[in-house]
Amino acid sequence: MSRALARGAVVALLASVATLRPGRAAAQERTTVGGYGEVHYTNRTGPDTPGTVDLKRFVVYLAHTFNDQIAFRSELEVEDAKLEGAQPGGEVALEQAYLDYRLSDALTLRSGLILPPVGVINETHEPPTFNGVDRPAFDNDVIPTTWREIGVGAVGRAPGVEGVSYRVYLVNGLRSAGFSAADGIRGGRQEGREASFANPSFTGRLEWARPGLKLGGSFWYGGTADADPALGKGAFAAPITLLSADARYDVGAFLFRAVAASIWVSDAEAINTRYAAAVGSRIAGGYLEAAYNLLHALAPASSQTLNAFVRHERYDTQAAVPAGTARDETLARRITTFGLSYKPTYNTAFKGDYQLLRNKAGSGEADVLSLGIAYQF
Amino acid sequence: MIQAPPAKVAASIARLFGPHARVDTLHVDSAAVLRISAGDSLLGFAQVGSVIGKDQPITFLVAIDPANRLKDVDILVYREPYGGEVAYEAWRKQFRGKAAADPLQVGRDIRSISGATISVHAVTAGVRRMLTELTAWHESGAIR
Repeated sequence: MSRALARGAVVALLASVATLRPGRAAAQERTTVGGYGEVHYTNRTGPDTPGTVDLKRFVVYLAHTFNDQIAFRSELEVEDAKLEGAQPGGEVALEQAYLDYRLSDALTLRSGLILPPVGVINETHEPPTFNGVDRPAFDNDVIPTTWREIGVGAVGRAPGVEGVSYRVYLVNGLRSAGFSAADGIRGGRQEGREASFANPSFTGRLEWARPGLKLGGSFWYGGTADADPALGKGAFAAPITLLSADARYDVGAFLFRAVAASIWVSDAEAINTRYAAAVGSRIAGGYLEAAYNLLHALAPASSQTLNAFVRHERYDTQAAVPAGTARDETLARRITTFGLSYKPTYNTAFKGDYQLLRNKAGSGEADVLSLGIAYQF
Repeated sequence: MIQAPPAKVAASIARLFGPHARVDTLHVDSAAVLRISAGDSLLGFAQVGSVIGKDQPITFLVAIDPANRLKDVDILVYREPYGGEVAYEAWRKQFRGKAAADPLQVGRDIRSISGATISVHAVTAGVRRMLTELTAWHESGAIR
């Protein structure tokens, strides 16, 4: 096709898009600012472990609406309050930065730095939305929250089937060079920083919602070899497959959450040989959480909430290991968290919790007391 | 001022009050209220409003019957990337039959939807405000 013809086709496509909704009033162009953040106090049991306080996250949400169809959205994050050369901790990073092109309720095209729609916390990670000072450890070690990669995709509500919505993206892949025994695929994220596109990967999610209930299923599939000849040069060389399911159910004063995920690292043996690692061939686990709003009975007229909650996480980043890799039983983690979340408004929270960090080997176990404040707007 | 597409407003009114209902626009304070009637009988009132979700206006319509009971809420235009579940009938129908004296509070008489918290709170607050206004105007005779 000649360039002029291609341009003509594009113009025709845009013109047809523009006339999908004739007669609609034009929206004003405008910029909006929001944000979220959290401050933590953490005290771990054991000798020589004084408490620490940390401005864990400070995130600025910046969005611009160009017209009724096109909007830009971004989140810029500062972790641990500041960055200083040669010191550990601290990060300034873009968590999201994408353009949405809205064609209808059923179809919005999205492109840029986006959040793979896996599990509950990765997309909805604002701290007043979850119980516990810190995110569930599962959403760090199994689902590598906040997971963001660059790509294109589509999101929308399924037409004609009320309650069903979807998201599907093609994004840059993970790099197995960063995989580890303890953190699974977490170190393999590229996070939009000069990312290799050697392994285009697919991710998506299907959701079904009713008042009080949301069910979701997510997937990720893609190679991780990054054109390393020891692992294969194909687009899908050294693939990983991730499947997860989640449920959130609120009834009366009770709130329940359940999330489970399993990740298959097909060529874990070759990855471990190549990078002298001990990556599991399967990474799996999940958690169950129940919360009860004490104010439901104590102050029925109040719009505030005081959730008492308990969460039990069980996961193993070496749920299976390939031949030649020794299994480390401290990685089979069992974490129980119980605490309180006081929310004077739905978007602010004061939290406290106590965690029992346990593992199958029974070594290196500890208890952790945490306090925190959280907001979003 | 966020505009609602007139065709969507008309479709919403026709769905709630029937295809042959007559619509007149009344002006109260700076608001425009739609008066819906058939022949000599009043069927109800409706108003279009918008609230801001995370960063986008959510445009919706609230309709009441002559006894000031909420007939229905319609989401006319939803522009946010998340939280579109507020347009589902299963969520909206919780408002039917509500009166201005009801709490209309998320977590009490209105159930939330996980992942749509901001939109759920914004729309609920907007509906509560509009139901209160329409009821007050109707009771005072500002609309009739």
